[in-house]
Amino acid sequence: MRTYRLLLIAILLGVTLTLSACATPTPQVVKETVVVKETVVVKEEVQVEVTKVVEKEVEKVVEVTATPVPGRQTLIVGLAGIPDSFDPADHRSRLSETVLRNMFDGLVTRDTTSGVHLELAESATLVDPTTYEFKLRQGVKFHDGSEMTADDVVFTFNRIIQENMIEYPDPHTSPRKGLIAPLASVEKVDDYTVRFILSAPWPPAMQMFVHQQIVPKAYLESVGTQGFVAHPIGVGPFKFVEGQLDDQIVMERFADYWGGAPDLGPSGPACVSTAIFRVIPEASTRVAALLAGEVDIIQAVPPDLVDVLAQTPGIVVKTAAGTQPKWMELNVNQAPLDNKLVRQALNHLIDKELIIEHLYGGRAAALPGALSPFNNFADPSLQPYPYNPERAAELLAEAGIADSDGDGKYEWNGAPWAFVVDSLEEHRALAEAVVAQLQEAGIDAQLRLWEYSVVKPLLQAGERSAYLDDWGDSAFDPVGHMEAKWHGVEAGSPYGRGNFSGYNNARVNELIKAGETETDVDARHALYNEAQALIYDEAPAVFLILPEEVEASSARVQNWEPASDSRVNLHDVCLQ
Amino acid sequence: MRLVKVIERLLAAIPIMLGVAVIVFVFMRMTPGDPVDIMMGQGGTVSEGEVERLRSEFNLDKPIHVQLGLFLSDLARGDLGNSFTKQQPVASLIGERLPATIELAFGSLFIGLLIAFPIGILSAVKQNSLLDRLSMGAAFLGISMPSFWLGIILILIFSVKLHWLPVQGRIDYDAGLQTVTGLYMLDSILTGNGPALISSLKHLILPSIALGSAVAAIVARVLRSSLLEILRSDYVKLARAKGAGETTVVMKHAVRNALIPTVTVVGLQVGVLLGGNMIVETVFSWPGLGRLVVEAIFNRDFPLVQGAVMVYAFIFVAANLVVDVLYTYLNPKIEM
Repeated sequence: MRTYRLLLIAILLGVTLTLSACATPTPQVVKETVVVKETVVVKEEVQVEVTKVVEKEVEKVVEVTATPVPGRQTLIVGLAGIPDSFDPADHRSRLSETVLRNMFDGLVTRDTTSGVHLELAESATLVDPTTYEFKLRQGVKFHDGSEMTADDVVFTFNRIIQENMIEYPDPHTSPRKGLIAPLASVEKVDDYTVRFILSAPWPPAMQMFVHQQIVPKAYLESVGTQGFVAHPIGVGPFKFVEGQLDDQIVMERFADYWGGAPDLGPSGPACVSTAIFRVIPEASTRVAALLAGEVDIIQAVPPDLVDVLAQTPGIVVKTAAGTQPKWMELNVNQAPLDNKLVRQALNHLIDKELIIEHLYGGRAAALPGALSPFNNFADPSLQPYPYNPERAAELLAEAGIADSDGDGKYEWNGAPWAFVVDSLEEHRALAEAVVAQLQEAGIDAQLRLWEYSVVKPLLQAGERSAYLDDWGDSAFDPVGHMEAKWHGVEAGSPYGRGNFSGYNNARVNELIKAGETETDVDARHALYNEAQALIYDEAPAVFLILPEEVEASSARVQNWEPASDSRVNLHDVCLQ
Repeated sequence: MRLVKVIERLLAAIPIMLGVAVIVFVFMRMTPGDPVDIMMGQGGTVSEGEVERLRSEFNLDKPIHVQLGLFLSDLARGDLGNSFTKQQPVASLIGERLPATIELAFGSLFIGLLIAFPIGILSAVKQNSLLDRLSMGAAFLGISMPSFWLGIILILIFSVKLHWLPVQGRIDYDAGLQTVTGLYMLDSILTGNGPALISSLKHLILPSIALGSAVAAIVARVLRSSLLEILRSDYVKLARAKGAGETTVVMKHAVRNALIPTVTVVGLQVGVLLGGNMIVETVFSWPGLGRLVVEAIFNRDFPLVQGAVMVYAFIFVAANLVVDVLYTYLNPKIEM
């Protein structure tokens, strides 16, 4: 008897399931007033370029059209990863900032093309080499209606720079302290003026203040960090409604928003009424969600799907200058790579343009050396090493490496020249291309993929030969980059913390350290130019490429541009 | 009597859990990779002493036996510690994600059984028929097909092409569901929210199929083979000789006995469903425990991995216990 009853229930549930599966989605009627702002012209060149490149894939794709849900005035963003926290002071992840900067503003902000701009600060003055004075905007409201004053700014920064200021879940120091380490103290001058005292002159200060957002002192003190992360409040264009960090985060337009950085874009409350961030770490799912009209903007489109999307009607692909330069570091303490000529030769052997054209569909730039070409201190006189196998052969011959038996393979020390290129899964395509080019050139190179945390100790111990990876550069300043990558390793310090080549040039070290505190811009340029020239010549790495950040949206999305630092600024975005 | 046995078995789980805790603790620390180093990431600046400060905050500067002692003493007080990267208690992080995983596991189990039972029974009854061969072929395919591949194919067909079902997530943002248990379908029913019920059901279908197809395949094969054996037994012949209809013979006499080996397999599958769905959760952006654990492993978030693995261990122990209890119902001759 029991069996039959169970069976009956099962069938009933099955029918319900099937029925709902077949049901067509009910269109939602949303009534609201929408402020429509001026339309931004879509980057034409991207789409045109793409038409030429893929032919086979096009046929598959044309049938697929993105179907916007009619009437939806909610902007949904597909995030490429999981944010760590709702507390702007309690994370060390770019993705968390991507989300939070829609609910919080900082003293200053940044635009991909034009640099740092004032946001909550009305003016910023360098009073002396170690003191910044910020005048705050008046009448800026937090989401709970209270006004932002100097107390909030002082509280925000003290919470980051002082020890054990975050009490939940256990008292701990903000993981963002290190980002603004030279900031020694913050003082209130009056209700709308604050002074930042630095421990030493710090040229990239403004670039780094971009990444700190202001939190409300009174609210945080009353609800504590636990209450704050349950319902965060800022002064940003959107206020928190509900959400879970690894699922979806729902925010709605903050009607009393102060307007946003006057230098940048339209001012006033946000255009869309609701904005949602959905966590979709799997790239193909992200793309499918965009094609199905479930999300409007997706981050981090994988290079192999860019063309597919660009060909799809109703989808727009946009790019921004990247901030993740990629290179193959060479172990300068291991023969024959300890010879500068060999390293230069390897730079001449890799055809970067070919890689950019075929692997990235043209959406990448060749690296002109130690810094990204978009870095504010990149030396414009340096050109990427040209692809020149003949020159490479000459250099190698000079270093005692030649194809002595005429079999098309280089010999070194009486045996075929072989080494392993180490890399990570995320760089697989590029690494395979580089290894293939090395093999083509006559070097017995092999690829080995690792997990970063596993290979890192081996690299630091100097046990590997060549390592292909990238290093973030979102502040467009050499600090955070030069000392980590090209300064000699100083254990336990930031110097050389990402140096996997073993490169250690006393003069370069000196220049990098001097650049960290030199406040005169021209003098700073001179220091970094000299360092870059030395690094270029000594080539502790094969300087490869800088891919663009590729994001995509439905054509309904207006006035949106991807940002180099993966910020998704939804304030200006409208839906058609 | 049965209750006493159940309690005994639950108590016996404690040393198992303790063993698991120690093993996970040691293994995580043997794995290369430094949590603080990963947290600092690439790019940006790291100040002098910052790494040391974080290391001591996480107790990573202490000898491993001291760390283990701290971990076990916290555990004894029911404290799983705090996540390194998320700055949240591990217990609350797991508590938030577990309902999603449970919901998906039950959805998959339901789909799996819904497919497996008719197929298993029919192919046993019509052994060697075309239907039998086709369905066993399909079952073979179901076992061999990687769930992530099936997931993506399902998304392409039912979401991108046909627009019947959503690509990802658990519920529409505007369903207005008040969460009670965290099991969205149950919560929709409890709060009488029809649209939320439909929305959560639609979100559940594709991941359940992706995850449930392997279950269906395994269960169908086991059910078929045990049913085949039973259909040849004497008591089935007797039932037929008595003049009982074929349906009664199969459903009432044979299937019930074929359920015993089937239940064992289903029980194990529940463990697999609750523990092994990292891939499907990732493909469908299902905010469950699996995805949390994968991220935690890559971040070397020791407390989070330890906590989650212990939850998994407990689920396996519990699933086995449920299977054993079910046995005693299915065959009163079996004692626990």
